[in-house]
Amino acid sequence: MSEQTIDLRETVRARYAAAATAVTTSADASCCAPGTDTSGEGCRGPQAVEVDENFGAALYANTDRDALPAEAVAASLGCGNPTAVAELRAGERVLDLGSGGGIDVLLSARRVGPTGRAYGLDMTEEMLALARANAAKAGAANVEFLKGTIEAIPLPADSIDVVISNCVINLSVDKPAVFAETHRVLVAGGRIGISDVVADDTLTFDQRAERGSYVECIAGALSFTEYRDGLAAAGFTDIEITPTHQVADGLHSAIVRAVKSHNAA
Amino acid sequence: MAVTVDEQLLEILACPSPDHAPLARGSRDDPAADALTCTECGREFPVRDGIPVLLLDEATPPAEPGSATDGV
Repeated sequence: MSEQTIDLRETVRARYAAAATAVTTSADASCCAPGTDTSGEGCRGPQAVEVDENFGAALYANTDRDALPAEAVAASLGCGNPTAVAELRAGERVLDLGSGGGIDVLLSARRVGPTGRAYGLDMTEEMLALARANAAKAGAANVEFLKGTIEAIPLPADSIDVVISNCVINLSVDKPAVFAETHRVLVAGGRIGISDVVADDTLTFDQRAERGSYVECIAGALSFTEYRDGLAAAGFTDIEITPTHQVADGLHSAIVRAVKSHNAA
Repeated sequence: MAVTVDEQLLEILACPSPDHAPLARGSRDDPAADALTCTECGREFPVRDGIPVLLLDEATPPAEPGSATDGV
């Protein structure tokens, strides 16, 4: 890995660690504490320059949010609601790539029920501590949190039914590795239900970087074609990328679905 | 104490290195250590606050074969 790549990863880690710490140390540091947020605005983190309704906890239905610890909701820095798009079923094993404060893992755990299991993978120690505390508060017994990277997933092949991820893959400095690892851990017939920021095909990398930084989920976003090609190269089929709302000029929050074919090795 | 990782979790965990081999409880020298060791490559991964740290750059690399006896 190049020095620049390592620096970028460290920048992302530090930024999200700060977000987790702010949620745990001060309720005021969070810009979208549930119950006080009547504007419907979400957030990208305590240090966010502007409060942005396109990211964060506002994208979850109130019924989902109300059943979760406030800290899990406050720490939601994502761009969608992947548990809603993954159509989870009882008994399934779910892996959340970049699980953050744990909101999607906890929601997934409820959906798959006691016979299923939800795993959260994150590289940020502070977020994992927050997620674990949130799981304890929610009384969730069928969840596990692991510290690792999404480019080297610490799970065996064919062990997961559904991979979800909320606005994290764009942060990766090695997206082909993420797609390959995701494909590897899925069972044949397994699927992904991912929310992520995706750029219009016409935007160059420079144009994406002009519209926002890497840690804001903008500069590292793939285009629709790059995303589709990346998933196909990893072996995914039935790839659907559906934009849901624009987060910056030419950049969209999108739902990404794909399947690991039954014939896949 | 190595009881913080439950059996069900240990069963599914795999080494993040390309071998993706199963992990065993404890370290090479101490089966009761709060760590997990790859059964293939021998890397040791710490378990902190019940969360397995399965990062290659935070793993203790395996001892070089024979390194303990070769040093003259």
